[in-house]
Amino acid sequence: MSFLFQERFLRILFIISIILMVVNLYAIFFIAPMVPEQHYAQKIFYIHVPIAWSGFLSYFIVMVAGIMFFIKKDSYWDRVGLAAAEIGTLFVALVLITGPIWATPIWGKPWIWEPRLTTTLILFLIYMGYFMLRKFGGHPERVARYAAVLGILAFLDVPLIFYSVKFWAPQFQLHPQSEMGQQPDGILRVFLFSMFTFTILYILMLRFRVKILNFHYKLKTNNV
Amino acid sequence: MFLTLLKKELFVELRNKEVILSMLAFGLTVLLIFSFSLSGNPKINHEMAPGLFWSLVVLSSSLGLHRLFGQEKDFDAFASLLSAPIDRGTLFLAKWMSGILFLSIIEILVVLPFFLFLGLSQPMSYLPGIGIVLLGNLGIVAVGVIVSGLAMRAKMSAVLLPVLLFPLITPLLIACVKATTGWYHQLMFNYWQFWVLIMATYVVIFGLAGYVFFDHITEE
Repeated sequence: MSFLFQERFLRILFIISIILMVVNLYAIFFIAPMVPEQHYAQKIFYIHVPIAWSGFLSYFIVMVAGIMFFIKKDSYWDRVGLAAAEIGTLFVALVLITGPIWATPIWGKPWIWEPRLTTTLILFLIYMGYFMLRKFGGHPERVARYAAVLGILAFLDVPLIFYSVKFWAPQFQLHPQSEMGQQPDGILRVFLFSMFTFTILYILMLRFRVKILNFHYKLKTNNV
Repeated sequence: MFLTLLKKELFVELRNKEVILSMLAFGLTVLLIFSFSLSGNPKINHEMAPGLFWSLVVLSSSLGLHRLFGQEKDFDAFASLLSAPIDRGTLFLAKWMSGILFLSIIEILVVLPFFLFLGLSQPMSYLPGIGIVLLGNLGIVAVGVIVSGLAMRAKMSAVLLPVLLFPLITPLLIACVKATTGWYHQLMFNYWQFWVLIMATYVVIFGLAGYVFFDHITEE
């Protein structure tokens, strides 16, 4: 474990993340004003949206890592792609859990075919296939190439999924976020702070995971 | 070179009929299940027909696409094919076109029992429907060839192919069903032209992606 904290930058980032997370939780529960119709259910919004943002950012990084892998021909970018895919899928799974928790009191049912939620679900399923491909794909070098291709294709599919679901069921377009403009003051500040906190947490997690994967790679190639 | 490769694909298939027979048998079996799963009410069948048709196509195609590289894999012929001075993009195009041809043949063979078993009425015009089906085939097979190439050398490739294919083609499937509904239920083209646009965009994106990435997919 100690090798994770060898870098000074990561030590500082780790401490900053803990402080930001504590402050964020305090702000969510004690500073952000209550929304009259939503009560405590609305508090999950400050977690749900930032993790959704981090999840999609992570999948974007998988695509960038895939492109970089083909340009640089360096397995480092495969490890970045794998780390981003793992963390992205963890965050997206959390989005799929927190989404219905939030939707139940707001929409009256846990699931509707809302474009953002549906896009998230489809991406989650694509990434289930991605991990299966990584596990059963065979030779590691080949798997790295295949994973890069799939990471790029998955992200290219995002706008098509979003717009096809959006127009497939126009009656389900009422995402709670669209009502943000009518919410009491003070919500936006806490929301932006939460977005920042989760982005920092995401960067930290990605750096840690890449470090661990690099360590594994060095162990396998006896370069440690 | 493209025509030579396409001829090779067609010749191999004509010899063993592996892709076409497996798709046809599977398609008819699925159709039988659909017929018994539904209430038998022609009105409900009429409403659901476009969705059922594309479900049938997608399920059948997943089986056929799995066998698209089957011969090369079974006889280890892919290495020989790759050692020939052939552009990998052209190889993709030949696989794509042959896949579309096989899928279209299945659709022609299955469409009559589909209408008969479900008690469906004849459409008013055929040409727009044929156009929609061809565009849908282009998209399904483009992604299918990519995914089949990715899964070809993997363990559990038969499971991996649909797991990768189905979520990736979701937007195309939605567009195919919507466009077919518009045509079959005789709605004005204005109401479903958006879906044709989505299908065309999908075909362009994944056709180009297949052409560009097939080199990385087929590399040993």
